[in-house]
Amino acid sequence: MAAQTTTSGLAPSEQQAKRRHPQPPRMRRSIKNEPLVFGIIGFVVVLIAWEAAIDLGMARASLLSSPTRIWSAAVTDFGNGALWPHIATSLLEWTVGFALAIVVGIPLGLILGTFRRIGMIVDPLLSALYATPTVALVPLIILLFGIGIGAKFAVVFLEALVTLTVSTITGVKSADPRHLETARSFGASRWLAFTSVTLPSSVPFIVTGLRIGAGRALVGVIVAEFIAANVGIGFYISLNGNLLNASRVMLGVLLVGAFGVFVGIVIGRIQRYFDRWRPAIR
Amino acid sequence: MTEQALALRATGVRMEYRDPATRERLTAIERMDIEIPEGEFVSIVGPSGCGKSTFLKIVNGLLPATEGEIEIKHSKGGSDHAMVFQDSSLFPWYSVQRNVAYGLACRGVKRKEAFARALPFIKLVGLEGFESKYPYQLSGGMQQRANLARALTVDPELLLMDEPFAALDAQTRELMQVELIRIWSEAQKTVLFITHQIDEAIFLSDRVIVMSARPGRILADITIELPRPRDLDIKRTPRFVEYEEQIWRLISKQLSVGPEAAA
Ligand SMILES: Nc1ncnc2c1ncn2[C@@H]1O[C@H](COP(=O)(O)OP(=O)(O)OP(=O)(O)O)[C@@H](O)[C@H]1O
Ligand SMILES: [Mg+2]
Repeated sequence: MAAQTTTSGLAPSEQQAKRRHPQPPRMRRSIKNEPLVFGIIGFVVVLIAWEAAIDLGMARASLLSSPTRIWSAAVTDFGNGALWPHIATSLLEWTVGFALAIVVGIPLGLILGTFRRIGMIVDPLLSALYATPTVALVPLIILLFGIGIGAKFAVVFLEALVTLTVSTITGVKSADPRHLETARSFGASRWLAFTSVTLPSSVPFIVTGLRIGAGRALVGVIVAEFIAANVGIGFYISLNGNLLNASRVMLGVLLVGAFGVFVGIVIGRIQRYFDRWRPAIR
Repeated sequence: MTEQALALRATGVRMEYRDPATRERLTAIERMDIEIPEGEFVSIVGPSGCGKSTFLKIVNGLLPATEGEIEIKHSKGGSDHAMVFQDSSLFPWYSVQRNVAYGLACRGVKRKEAFARALPFIKLVGLEGFESKYPYQLSGGMQQRANLARALTVDPELLLMDEPFAALDAQTRELMQVELIRIWSEAQKTVLFITHQIDEAIFLSDRVIVMSARPGRILADITIELPRPRDLDIKRTPRFVEYEEQIWRLISKQLSVGPEAAA
Protein backbone atom coordinates (compact mmCIF):
# COMPACT_ATOMS: atom_id res chain seq x y z
CA MET A 1 0.00 0.00 0.00
CA ALA A 2 2.62 2.45 1.10
CA ALA A 3 4.53 1.85 -2.09
CA GLN A 4 1.62 3.07 -4.12
CA THR A 5 1.03 6.35 -2.38
CA THR A 6 4.29 7.81 -3.58
CA THR A 7 3.76 7.34 -7.28
CA SER A 8 2.46 10.84 -7.97
CA GLY A 9 4.29 13.22 -10.18
CA LEU A 10 7.01 10.94 -11.43
CA ALA A 11 7.11 9.50 -14.87
CA PRO A 12 6.68 5.73 -14.76
CA SER A 13 10.20 5.13 -15.99
CA GLU A 14 11.62 7.22 -13.17
CA GLN A 15 9.68 5.25 -10.59
CA GLN A 16 11.00 2.01 -11.90
CA ALA A 17 14.52 3.31 -11.90
CA LYS A 18 14.31 4.61 -8.37
CA ARG A 19 12.80 1.56 -6.79
CA ARG A 20 15.05 -1.39 -6.32
CA HIS A 21 13.16 -4.00 -4.47
CA PRO A 22 14.78 -7.41 -4.53
CA GLN A 23 11.38 -8.58 -5.76
CA PRO A 24 9.33 -6.04 -7.62
CA PRO A 25 5.70 -6.04 -6.49
CA ARG A 26 4.53 -7.50 -9.76
CA MET A 27 1.33 -9.07 -8.48
CA ARG A 28 -0.13 -5.73 -7.56
CA ARG A 29 0.38 -4.30 -11.00
CA SER A 30 -1.00 -7.21 -12.95
CA ILE A 31 -4.62 -6.68 -11.87
CA LYS A 32 -6.34 -4.04 -13.92
CA ASN A 33 -9.34 -2.29 -12.44
CA GLU A 34 -8.62 -3.80 -9.08
CA PRO A 35 -11.53 -2.20 -7.18
CA LEU A 36 -14.01 -3.33 -9.81
CA VAL A 37 -12.74 -6.89 -9.85
CA PHE A 38 -12.86 -7.24 -6.08
CA GLY A 39 -16.23 -5.50 -5.93
CA ILE A 40 -17.67 -8.04 -8.33
CA ILE A 41 -16.18 -10.89 -6.36
CA GLY A 42 -17.98 -9.57 -3.27
CA PHE A 43 -21.23 -9.42 -5.16
CA VAL A 44 -20.97 -12.91 -6.54
CA VAL A 45 -20.13 -14.36 -3.13
CA VAL A 46 -23.19 -12.73 -1.56
CA LEU A 47 -25.45 -13.92 -4.37
CA ILE A 48 -24.25 -17.50 -4.11
CA ALA A 49 -24.56 -17.51 -0.33
CA TRP A 50 -28.06 -16.06 -0.60
CA GLU A 51 -29.21 -18.64 -3.11
CA ALA A 52 -27.65 -21.42 -1.08
CA ALA A 53 -29.26 -20.25 2.14
CA ILE A 54 -32.72 -20.34 0.53
CA ASP A 55 -32.15 -23.69 -1.16
CA LEU A 56 -30.89 -25.26 2.04
CA GLY A 57 -33.99 -24.02 3.83
CA MET A 58 -32.10 -21.69 6.18
CA ALA A 59 -34.40 -18.81 5.26
CA ARG A 60 -37.83 -18.56 3.74
CA ALA A 61 -38.04 -17.67 0.08
CA SER A 62 -41.40 -15.95 0.63
CA LEU A 63 -39.71 -13.38 2.86
CA LEU A 64 -36.24 -13.08 1.43
CA SER A 65 -36.74 -14.27 -2.14
CA SER A 66 -33.55 -15.43 -3.88
CA PRO A 67 -31.40 -14.36 -6.81
CA THR A 68 -32.99 -16.82 -9.23
CA ARG A 69 -36.51 -15.84 -8.16
CA ILE A 70 -35.71 -12.16 -8.55
CA TRP A 71 -34.26 -12.92 -11.95
CA SER A 72 -37.43 -14.63 -13.14
CA ALA A 73 -39.53 -11.75 -11.75
CA ALA A 74 -37.34 -9.38 -13.75
CA VAL A 75 -37.75 -11.44 -16.92
CA THR A 76 -41.52 -11.41 -16.50
CA ASP A 77 -42.00 -7.73 -15.64
CA PHE A 78 -39.54 -6.43 -18.19
CA GLY A 79 -40.87 -8.87 -20.76
CA ASN A 80 -44.50 -7.77 -20.53
CA GLY A 81 -43.48 -4.13 -20.22
CA ALA A 82 -45.06 -3.67 -16.79
CA LEU A 83 -41.91 -2.13 -15.30
CA TRP A 84 -41.13 0.50 -17.89
CA PRO A 85 -43.69 3.13 -16.86
CA HIS A 86 -42.50 2.87 -13.26
CA ILE A 87 -38.88 3.28 -14.24
CA ALA A 88 -39.60 6.14 -16.62
CA THR A 89 -41.67 8.03 -14.07
CA SER A 90 -39.15 7.68 -11.26
CA LEU A 91 -36.32 8.62 -13.57
CA LEU A 92 -38.18 11.74 -14.67
CA GLU A 93 -38.93 12.74 -11.08
CA TRP A 94 -35.35 12.27 -10.06
CA THR A 95 -33.89 14.07 -13.05
CA VAL A 96 -36.15 17.11 -12.96
CA GLY A 97 -36.02 17.48 -9.18
CA PHE A 98 -32.25 17.04 -8.99
CA ALA A 99 -31.60 19.31 -11.95
CA LEU A 100 -33.69 22.04 -10.33
CA ALA A 101 -31.77 21.56 -7.10
CA ILE A 102 -28.48 21.96 -8.97
CA VAL A 103 -29.60 25.03 -10.86
CA VAL A 104 -30.82 26.68 -7.67
CA GLY A 105 -28.61 25.16 -4.99
CA ILE A 106 -25.13 25.76 -6.39
CA PRO A 107 -25.58 29.42 -7.34
CA LEU A 108 -27.37 29.96 -4.04
CA GLY A 109 -24.45 28.42 -2.18
CA LEU A 110 -21.98 30.54 -4.12
CA ILE A 111 -23.88 33.71 -3.27
CA LEU A 112 -24.38 32.83 0.38
CA GLY A 113 -20.74 31.85 0.74
CA THR A 114 -19.45 34.97 -0.96
CA PHE A 115 -21.58 37.66 0.62
CA ARG A 116 -21.05 37.43 4.34
CA ARG A 117 -24.04 39.45 5.42
CA ILE A 118 -26.58 37.49 3.41
CA GLY A 119 -24.90 34.35 4.64
CA MET A 120 -25.36 35.42 8.26
CA ILE A 121 -29.08 35.82 7.70
CA VAL A 122 -29.60 32.56 5.88
CA ASP A 123 -27.09 30.29 7.64
CA PRO A 124 -29.21 29.51 10.73
CA LEU A 125 -32.24 28.79 8.56
CA LEU A 126 -30.18 26.54 6.40
CA SER A 127 -28.65 24.66 9.32
CA ALA A 128 -32.12 24.09 10.73
CA LEU A 129 -33.33 22.82 7.39
CA TYR A 130 -30.22 20.69 7.04
CA ALA A 131 -30.78 19.04 10.40
CA THR A 132 -34.43 18.32 9.66
CA PRO A 133 -35.11 15.10 7.81
CA THR A 134 -36.99 16.68 4.93
CA VAL A 135 -38.87 13.45 4.26
CA ALA A 136 -40.92 14.44 7.28
CA LEU A 137 -42.27 17.26 5.17
CA VAL A 138 -43.47 14.98 2.39
CA PRO A 139 -47.08 14.77 3.61
CA LEU A 140 -47.19 18.55 3.72
CA ILE A 141 -45.77 18.87 0.21
CA ILE A 142 -48.34 16.41 -1.07
CA LEU A 143 -51.05 18.52 0.55
CA LEU A 144 -49.65 21.55 -1.25
CA PHE A 145 -48.92 20.04 -4.64
CA GLY A 146 -51.33 17.13 -4.85
CA ILE A 147 -50.34 13.57 -5.56
CA GLY A 148 -49.21 14.30 -9.12
CA ILE A 149 -45.70 14.49 -10.42
CA GLY A 150 -45.33 18.12 -9.29
CA ALA A 151 -45.23 17.03 -5.67
CA LYS A 152 -42.51 14.51 -6.50
CA PHE A 153 -40.41 17.18 -8.18
CA ALA A 154 -40.81 19.32 -5.08
CA VAL A 155 -39.79 16.55 -2.69
CA VAL A 156 -36.73 15.56 -4.73
CA PHE A 157 -35.76 19.20 -5.17
CA LEU A 158 -35.96 19.88 -1.47
CA GLU A 159 -34.09 16.71 -0.54
CA ALA A 160 -31.13 17.60 -2.74
CA LEU A 161 -31.20 21.38 -2.43
CA VAL A 162 -30.04 21.85 1.13
CA THR A 163 -27.15 19.44 0.78
CA LEU A 164 -25.98 21.10 -2.40
CA THR A 165 -26.25 24.60 -0.97
CA VAL A 166 -24.53 23.77 2.29
CA SER A 167 -21.61 21.99 0.66
CA THR A 168 -21.19 24.79 -1.87
CA ILE A 169 -21.04 27.33 0.94
CA THR A 170 -18.43 25.19 2.69
CA GLY A 171 -16.49 25.08 -0.56
CA VAL A 172 -16.54 28.83 -1.00
CA LYS A 173 -15.31 29.30 2.55
CA SER A 174 -12.55 26.76 2.06
CA ALA A 175 -10.72 29.03 -0.36
CA ASP A 176 -7.17 29.52 0.89
CA PRO A 177 -6.68 33.11 2.10
CA ARG A 178 -3.18 33.03 0.60
CA HIS A 179 -4.64 32.40 -2.82
CA LEU A 180 -7.17 35.18 -2.38
CA GLU A 181 -4.37 37.46 -1.27
CA THR A 182 -2.36 36.53 -4.34
CA ALA A 183 -5.29 37.42 -6.57
CA ARG A 184 -5.71 40.72 -4.80
CA SER A 185 -2.00 41.45 -4.95
CA PHE A 186 -2.08 41.12 -8.74
CA GLY A 187 -5.05 43.42 -8.87
CA ALA A 188 -7.63 40.82 -9.87
CA SER A 189 -11.16 42.10 -10.10
CA ARG A 190 -13.68 40.61 -7.70
CA TRP A 191 -15.10 38.58 -10.52
CA LEU A 192 -11.70 37.25 -11.60
CA ALA A 193 -10.80 36.43 -8.01
CA PHE A 194 -14.06 34.52 -7.82
CA THR A 195 -13.52 32.53 -11.00
CA SER A 196 -9.81 31.96 -10.50
CA VAL A 197 -9.75 31.15 -6.78
CA THR A 198 -13.12 30.75 -5.11
CA LEU A 199 -14.72 28.60 -7.76
CA PRO A 200 -11.85 26.13 -8.28
CA SER A 201 -11.41 25.81 -4.51
CA SER A 202 -15.06 24.97 -4.02
CA VAL A 203 -15.36 22.44 -6.83
CA PRO A 204 -14.39 19.41 -4.71
CA PHE A 205 -17.03 20.38 -2.15
CA ILE A 206 -19.63 20.94 -4.84
CA VAL A 207 -18.93 17.52 -6.29
CA THR A 208 -19.31 15.98 -2.85
CA GLY A 209 -22.59 17.86 -2.56
CA LEU A 210 -23.66 16.39 -5.88
CA ARG A 211 -22.83 12.91 -4.69
CA ILE A 212 -24.76 13.18 -1.43
CA GLY A 213 -27.53 15.20 -3.04
CA ALA A 214 -28.03 12.58 -5.75
CA GLY A 215 -28.52 9.94 -3.09
CA ARG A 216 -30.92 12.08 -1.10
CA ALA A 217 -32.86 12.86 -4.26
CA LEU A 218 -33.26 9.16 -4.81
CA VAL A 219 -34.55 8.73 -1.28
CA GLY A 220 -36.98 11.56 -2.03
CA VAL A 221 -38.30 9.78 -5.10
CA ILE A 222 -38.93 6.53 -3.27
CA VAL A 223 -40.45 8.06 -0.14
CA ALA A 224 -42.76 10.34 -2.08
CA GLU A 225 -43.95 7.42 -4.14
CA PHE A 226 -44.43 5.30 -1.02
CA ILE A 227 -46.72 7.91 0.44
CA ALA A 228 -48.85 8.86 -2.51
CA ALA A 229 -48.47 7.61 -6.06
CA ASN A 230 -49.91 5.23 -8.57
CA VAL A 231 -46.83 4.83 -10.67
CA GLY A 232 -43.05 4.78 -10.06
CA ILE A 233 -40.52 2.38 -8.64
CA GLY A 234 -41.36 3.38 -5.08
CA PHE A 235 -44.99 2.63 -5.80
CA TYR A 236 -44.01 -0.70 -7.41
CA ILE A 237 -42.03 -1.64 -4.31
CA SER A 238 -44.73 -0.70 -1.81
CA LEU A 239 -47.47 -2.31 -3.91
CA ASN A 240 -45.60 -5.60 -4.10
CA GLY A 241 -44.80 -5.34 -0.44
CA ASN A 242 -48.50 -5.22 0.28
CA LEU A 243 -49.00 -8.19 -2.04
CA LEU A 244 -46.29 -10.06 -0.12
CA ASN A 245 -44.29 -10.52 -3.29
CA ALA A 246 -40.75 -10.45 -1.95
CA SER A 247 -39.13 -11.09 -5.33
CA ARG A 248 -40.65 -8.00 -6.89
CA VAL A 249 -39.83 -5.89 -3.84
CA MET A 250 -36.23 -7.02 -4.12
CA LEU A 251 -36.24 -6.37 -7.85
CA GLY A 252 -37.38 -2.80 -7.25
CA VAL A 253 -34.80 -2.28 -4.55
CA LEU A 254 -32.06 -3.66 -6.78
CA LEU A 255 -33.07 -1.35 -9.62
CA VAL A 256 -32.91 1.65 -7.32
CA GLY A 257 -29.57 0.46 -5.96
CA ALA A 258 -28.17 -0.08 -9.44
CA PHE A 259 -29.21 3.40 -10.43
CA GLY A 260 -27.55 4.80 -7.32
CA VAL A 261 -24.32 3.01 -8.19
CA PHE A 262 -24.50 4.24 -11.78
CA VAL A 263 -24.93 7.85 -10.66
CA GLY A 264 -22.05 7.39 -8.25
CA ILE A 265 -19.81 6.26 -11.09
CA VAL A 266 -20.81 9.20 -13.27
CA ILE A 267 -20.09 11.64 -10.47
CA GLY A 268 -16.80 9.87 -9.82
CA ARG A 269 -15.87 10.59 -13.43
CA ILE A 270 -16.77 14.23 -13.01
CA GLN A 271 -14.72 14.34 -9.84
CA ARG A 272 -11.71 12.84 -11.54
CA TYR A 273 -11.93 15.39 -14.30
CA PHE A 274 -11.90 18.26 -11.82
CA ASP A 275 -9.19 16.63 -9.73
CA ARG A 276 -6.67 16.38 -12.53
CA TRP A 277 -4.57 19.10 -10.95
CA ARG A 278 -4.16 17.13 -7.75
CA PRO A 279 -1.62 14.42 -7.11
CA ALA A 280 -3.37 11.09 -7.52
CA ILE A 281 -3.64 9.39 -4.16
CA ARG A 282 -4.64 5.78 -4.34
CA MET B 1 11.44 63.52 -6.43
CA THR B 2 15.12 63.97 -5.79
CA GLU B 3 17.86 64.06 -8.39
CA GLN B 4 18.03 60.28 -8.41
CA ALA B 5 14.90 58.56 -9.67
CA LEU B 6 13.28 56.61 -6.87
CA ALA B 7 11.34 53.39 -7.31
CA LEU B 8 9.97 53.50 -3.80
CA ARG B 9 9.71 56.05 -1.04
CA ALA B 10 8.11 55.12 2.28
CA THR B 11 7.71 57.98 4.71
CA GLY B 12 6.79 57.56 8.37
CA VAL B 13 4.99 54.29 7.86
CA ARG B 14 3.41 53.07 11.04
CA MET B 15 1.20 50.04 11.43
CA GLU B 16 -1.11 49.00 14.23
CA TYR B 17 -3.20 45.87 14.08
CA ARG B 18 -6.41 45.83 15.99
CA ASP B 19 -7.69 42.63 17.43
CA PRO B 20 -11.34 42.56 16.40
CA ALA B 21 -12.30 40.54 19.49
CA THR B 22 -10.47 42.35 22.29
CA ARG B 23 -10.12 45.70 20.45
CA GLU B 24 -6.54 45.75 21.66
CA ARG B 25 -4.04 47.49 19.47
CA LEU B 26 -0.74 45.93 18.58
CA THR B 27 1.93 48.06 17.05
CA ALA B 28 3.64 45.98 14.42
CA ILE B 29 5.69 48.76 12.86
CA GLU B 30 6.72 51.82 14.79
CA ARG B 31 8.17 53.76 11.94
CA MET B 32 9.72 52.99 8.59
CA ASP B 33 11.37 55.46 6.23
CA ILE B 34 12.92 53.97 3.13
CA GLU B 35 14.05 55.30 -0.19
CA ILE B 36 14.98 52.88 -2.93
CA PRO B 37 16.50 54.21 -6.14
CA GLU B 38 15.55 52.56 -9.38
CA GLY B 39 17.32 49.32 -10.15
CA GLU B 40 18.60 48.74 -6.61
CA PHE B 41 18.36 45.45 -4.80
CA VAL B 42 17.46 46.09 -1.17
CA SER B 43 16.96 43.46 1.52
CA ILE B 44 15.25 43.74 4.86
CA VAL B 45 16.35 41.47 7.69
CA GLY B 46 15.08 41.43 11.23
CA PRO B 47 13.83 39.22 14.02
CA SER B 48 10.71 37.18 13.45
CA GLY B 49 7.53 39.16 14.02
CA CYS B 50 9.14 42.57 13.59
CA GLY B 51 6.78 43.55 10.82
CA LYS B 52 8.68 42.73 7.64
CA SER B 53 5.80 40.99 5.93
CA THR B 54 3.47 43.67 7.19
CA PHE B 55 5.61 46.35 5.61
CA LEU B 56 5.72 44.52 2.30
CA LYS B 57 1.96 44.11 2.31
CA ILE B 58 1.58 47.82 2.91
CA VAL B 59 3.87 48.58 -0.02
CA ASN B 60 1.91 46.09 -2.09
CA GLY B 61 -1.37 47.79 -1.22
CA LEU B 62 -2.78 44.73 0.50
CA LEU B 63 -2.91 46.54 3.83
CA PRO B 64 -3.60 50.17 4.64
CA ALA B 65 -0.95 51.69 6.89
CA THR B 66 -2.12 53.35 10.07
CA GLU B 67 0.09 56.31 9.31
CA GLY B 68 2.59 57.36 6.71
CA GLU B 69 2.89 57.41 3.01
CA ILE B 70 4.03 55.11 0.24
CA GLU B 71 5.11 56.46 -3.10
CA ILE B 72 5.88 54.05 -5.89
CA LYS B 73 7.16 54.94 -9.30
CA HIS B 74 4.35 54.61 -11.74
CA SER B 75 5.03 52.15 -14.51
CA LYS B 76 4.28 53.17 -18.05
CA GLY B 77 3.71 49.78 -19.66
CA GLY B 78 3.60 47.28 -16.84
CA SER B 79 2.50 47.05 -13.23
CA ASP B 80 3.80 49.32 -10.54
CA HIS B 81 4.70 46.41 -8.34
CA ALA B 82 4.38 42.65 -8.06
CA MET B 83 4.80 40.29 -5.16
CA VAL B 84 6.55 36.96 -4.86
CA PHE B 85 5.13 35.17 -1.84
CA GLN B 86 6.80 32.65 0.38
CA ASP B 87 5.14 29.47 -0.88
CA SER B 88 1.87 27.84 -1.88
CA SER B 89 0.78 30.93 -3.68
CA LEU B 90 0.66 29.30 -7.09
CA PHE B 91 -2.84 28.21 -7.98
CA PRO B 92 -2.74 24.41 -7.89
CA TRP B 93 -5.61 24.19 -10.40
CA TYR B 94 -3.74 26.14 -13.07
CA SER B 95 -0.91 24.93 -15.24
CA VAL B 96 2.48 26.61 -14.89
CA GLN B 97 1.83 28.70 -17.96
CA ARG B 98 -1.58 29.82 -16.78
CA ASN B 99 -0.15 30.65 -13.37
CA VAL B 100 2.62 32.70 -14.89
CA ALA B 101 0.14 34.46 -17.16
CA TYR B 102 -2.17 35.20 -14.23
CA GLY B 103 -0.92 38.71 -13.53
CA LEU B 104 -1.58 39.62 -17.14
CA ALA B 105 -5.06 38.12 -16.95
CA CYS B 106 -5.65 40.40 -13.97
CA ARG B 107 -4.73 43.33 -16.17
CA GLY B 108 -7.31 42.31 -18.73
CA VAL B 109 -4.96 40.73 -21.26
CA LYS B 110 -6.68 38.04 -23.34
CA ARG B 111 -5.82 34.43 -22.56
CA LYS B 112 -3.98 33.72 -25.78
CA GLU B 113 -1.82 36.82 -25.65
CA ALA B 114 -1.15 36.39 -21.94
CA PHE B 115 0.02 32.83 -22.54
CA ALA B 116 2.34 33.96 -25.30
CA ARG B 117 3.77 36.75 -23.18
CA ALA B 118 4.35 34.36 -20.29
CA LEU B 119 6.62 32.12 -22.34
CA PRO B 120 9.81 34.22 -22.33
CA PHE B 121 9.60 34.52 -18.55
CA ILE B 122 9.05 30.81 -18.12
CA LYS B 123 12.21 30.44 -20.15
CA LEU B 124 14.03 33.12 -18.16
CA VAL B 125 13.48 31.28 -14.89
CA GLY B 126 14.47 27.98 -16.49
CA LEU B 127 11.11 26.24 -16.58
CA GLU B 128 11.00 25.57 -20.29
CA GLY B 129 9.20 22.33 -20.99
CA PHE B 130 7.09 22.55 -17.84
CA GLU B 131 4.49 24.96 -19.21
CA SER B 132 1.62 22.53 -19.03
CA LYS B 133 2.55 20.92 -15.72
CA TYR B 134 0.55 21.54 -12.57
CA PRO B 135 2.29 22.96 -9.49
CA TYR B 136 2.16 19.64 -7.65
CA GLN B 137 4.32 18.22 -10.40
CA LEU B 138 7.10 20.70 -9.64
CA SER B 139 9.72 20.69 -6.92
CA GLY B 140 9.75 23.46 -4.34
CA GLY B 141 12.51 25.30 -6.15
CA MET B 142 10.68 25.05 -9.45
CA GLN B 143 7.51 26.35 -7.85
CA GLN B 144 9.38 29.38 -6.62
CA ARG B 145 10.78 29.93 -10.11
CA ALA B 146 7.22 29.89 -11.44
CA ASN B 147 6.26 32.27 -8.66
CA LEU B 148 9.02 34.61 -9.71
CA ALA B 149 8.09 34.32 -13.37
CA ARG B 150 4.50 35.24 -12.56
CA ALA B 151 5.67 38.41 -10.89
CA LEU B 152 8.11 39.30 -13.68
CA THR B 153 5.51 38.79 -16.39
CA VAL B 154 3.59 41.91 -15.40
CA ASP B 155 6.80 43.89 -15.93
CA PRO B 156 6.72 45.57 -12.51
CA GLU B 157 8.73 48.64 -11.57
CA LEU B 158 9.20 47.17 -8.14
CA LEU B 159 9.52 43.50 -7.29
CA LEU B 160 8.51 42.59 -3.75
CA MET B 161 9.76 39.29 -2.39
CA ASP B 162 8.76 37.91 0.99
CA GLU B 163 11.13 35.14 2.01
CA PRO B 164 10.74 33.47 -1.36
CA PHE B 165 13.34 30.80 -0.63
CA ALA B 166 12.44 30.05 2.98
CA ALA B 167 10.90 26.69 2.19
CA LEU B 168 13.86 25.46 0.17
CA ASP B 169 16.73 23.30 1.28
CA ALA B 170 20.12 24.95 1.69
CA GLN B 171 21.53 23.78 -1.63
CA THR B 172 18.54 24.71 -3.74
CA ARG B 173 18.44 27.97 -1.90
CA GLU B 174 21.98 28.93 -2.90
CA LEU B 175 21.24 27.91 -6.45
CA MET B 176 18.16 30.10 -6.45
CA GLN B 177 20.17 33.02 -5.08
CA VAL B 178 22.55 32.80 -8.00
CA GLU B 179 19.61 32.46 -10.36
CA LEU B 180 17.88 35.46 -8.85
CA ILE B 181 20.96 37.61 -9.35
CA ARG B 182 21.13 36.50 -12.95
CA ILE B 183 17.45 37.21 -13.54
CA TRP B 184 17.65 40.50 -11.71
CA SER B 185 20.53 41.73 -13.84
CA GLU B 186 18.74 40.61 -17.00
CA ALA B 187 15.35 42.01 -16.09
CA GLN B 188 16.73 45.18 -14.48
CA LYS B 189 14.16 45.50 -11.74
CA THR B 190 14.12 47.24 -8.43
CA VAL B 191 13.81 44.59 -5.75
CA LEU B 192 12.70 44.77 -2.15
CA PHE B 193 13.60 41.42 -0.64
CA ILE B 194 12.79 40.02 2.77
CA THR B 195 14.77 37.22 4.33
CA HIS B 196 15.80 35.70 7.61
CA GLN B 197 19.11 34.61 6.22
CA ILE B 198 21.81 37.22 6.68
CA ASP B 199 24.17 35.75 4.11
CA GLU B 200 21.38 35.67 1.57
CA ALA B 201 20.66 39.34 2.15
CA ILE B 202 24.30 40.35 1.77
CA PHE B 203 24.92 38.15 -1.22
CA LEU B 204 21.97 39.53 -3.18
CA SER B 205 21.78 43.14 -2.15
CA ASP B 206 23.13 46.57 -2.76
CA ARG B 207 21.75 47.55 0.63
CA VAL B 208 20.65 45.62 3.68
CA ILE B 209 18.15 47.20 6.06
CA VAL B 210 18.18 45.80 9.57
CA MET B 211 14.99 46.08 11.58
CA SER B 212 14.49 46.03 15.32
CA ALA B 213 12.26 43.58 17.14
CA ARG B 214 8.60 44.47 17.26
CA PRO B 215 7.49 47.22 17.07
CA GLY B 216 9.68 47.39 14.01
CA ARG B 217 11.85 50.29 13.05
CA ILE B 218 15.07 50.65 11.10
CA LEU B 219 18.22 49.92 13.10
CA ALA B 220 20.71 50.19 10.32
CA ASP B 221 20.90 50.71 6.59
CA ILE B 222 24.07 49.06 5.36
CA THR B 223 25.42 49.54 1.88
CA ILE B 224 27.03 46.35 0.62
CA GLU B 225 30.11 47.34 -1.30
CA LEU B 226 30.90 44.03 -2.86
CA PRO B 227 31.73 43.96 -6.55
CA ARG B 228 29.28 42.51 -9.02
CA PRO B 229 28.89 40.07 -10.66
CA ARG B 230 29.07 37.95 -7.53
CA ASP B 231 29.30 34.22 -7.25
CA LEU B 232 28.88 31.96 -4.26
CA ASP B 233 32.63 32.04 -3.48
CA ILE B 234 32.23 35.61 -2.35
CA LYS B 235 30.48 34.30 0.76
CA ARG B 236 33.85 33.15 2.07
CA THR B 237 35.70 36.44 1.55
CA PRO B 238 36.69 38.48 4.63
CA ARG B 239 34.59 41.47 3.52
CA PHE B 240 31.52 39.31 3.29
CA VAL B 241 32.10 37.74 6.68
CA GLU B 242 32.58 41.20 8.18
CA TYR B 243 29.20 42.27 6.90
CA GLU B 244 27.71 39.08 8.26
CA GLU B 245 29.11 39.72 11.72
CA GLN B 246 28.05 43.33 11.71
CA ILE B 247 24.46 42.45 10.90
CA TRP B 248 24.40 39.45 13.18
CA ARG B 249 25.50 41.59 16.13
CA LEU B 250 22.65 44.02 15.46
CA ILE B 251 20.07 41.26 15.28
CA SER B 252 21.27 39.16 18.18
CA LYS B 253 21.07 42.16 20.48
CA GLN B 254 17.43 42.41 19.52
CA LEU B 255 16.78 38.77 20.19
CA SER B 256 18.03 38.94 23.75
CA VAL B 257 15.77 41.91 24.49
CA GLY B 258 12.37 40.94 23.15
CA PRO B 259 10.17 38.07 24.26
CA GLU B 260 9.59 37.38 20.57
CA ALA B 261 12.21 34.71 20.11
CA ALA B 262 9.66 31.96 20.01
CA ALA B 263 7.13 33.82 17.90
N1 LIG C 1 -3.36 40.07 10.21
C1 LIG C 1 -2.81 40.35 11.42
N2 LIG C 1 -3.59 40.71 12.45
C2 LIG C 1 -3.06 41.01 13.64
N3 LIG C 1 -1.74 40.98 13.89
C3 LIG C 1 -0.90 40.64 12.92
C4 LIG C 1 -1.39 40.30 11.61
N4 LIG C 1 -0.35 39.99 10.83
C5 LIG C 1 0.74 40.12 11.60
N5 LIG C 1 0.43 40.52 12.85
C6 LIG C 1 1.35 40.82 13.93
O1 LIG C 1 2.21 41.82 13.50
C7 LIG C 1 3.56 41.52 13.86
C8 LIG C 1 4.42 41.53 12.63
O2 LIG C 1 4.03 40.46 11.77
P1 LIG C 1 4.77 40.17 10.40
O3 LIG C 1 4.11 39.03 9.76
O4 LIG C 1 4.86 41.43 9.64
O5 LIG C 1 6.22 39.76 10.92
P2 LIG C 1 7.50 39.32 10.09
O6 LIG C 1 8.56 40.29 10.39
O7 LIG C 1 7.15 39.10 8.68
O8 LIG C 1 7.84 37.95 10.79
P3 LIG C 1 8.48 36.64 10.15
O9 LIG C 1 9.91 36.94 9.98
O10 LIG C 1 8.27 35.60 11.20
O11 LIG C 1 7.77 36.38 8.88
C9 LIG C 1 3.53 40.19 14.56
O12 LIG C 1 3.66 40.43 15.94
C10 LIG C 1 2.18 39.61 14.27
O13 LIG C 1 1.68 38.96 15.38
MG1 LIG D 1 6.98 37.39 7.38
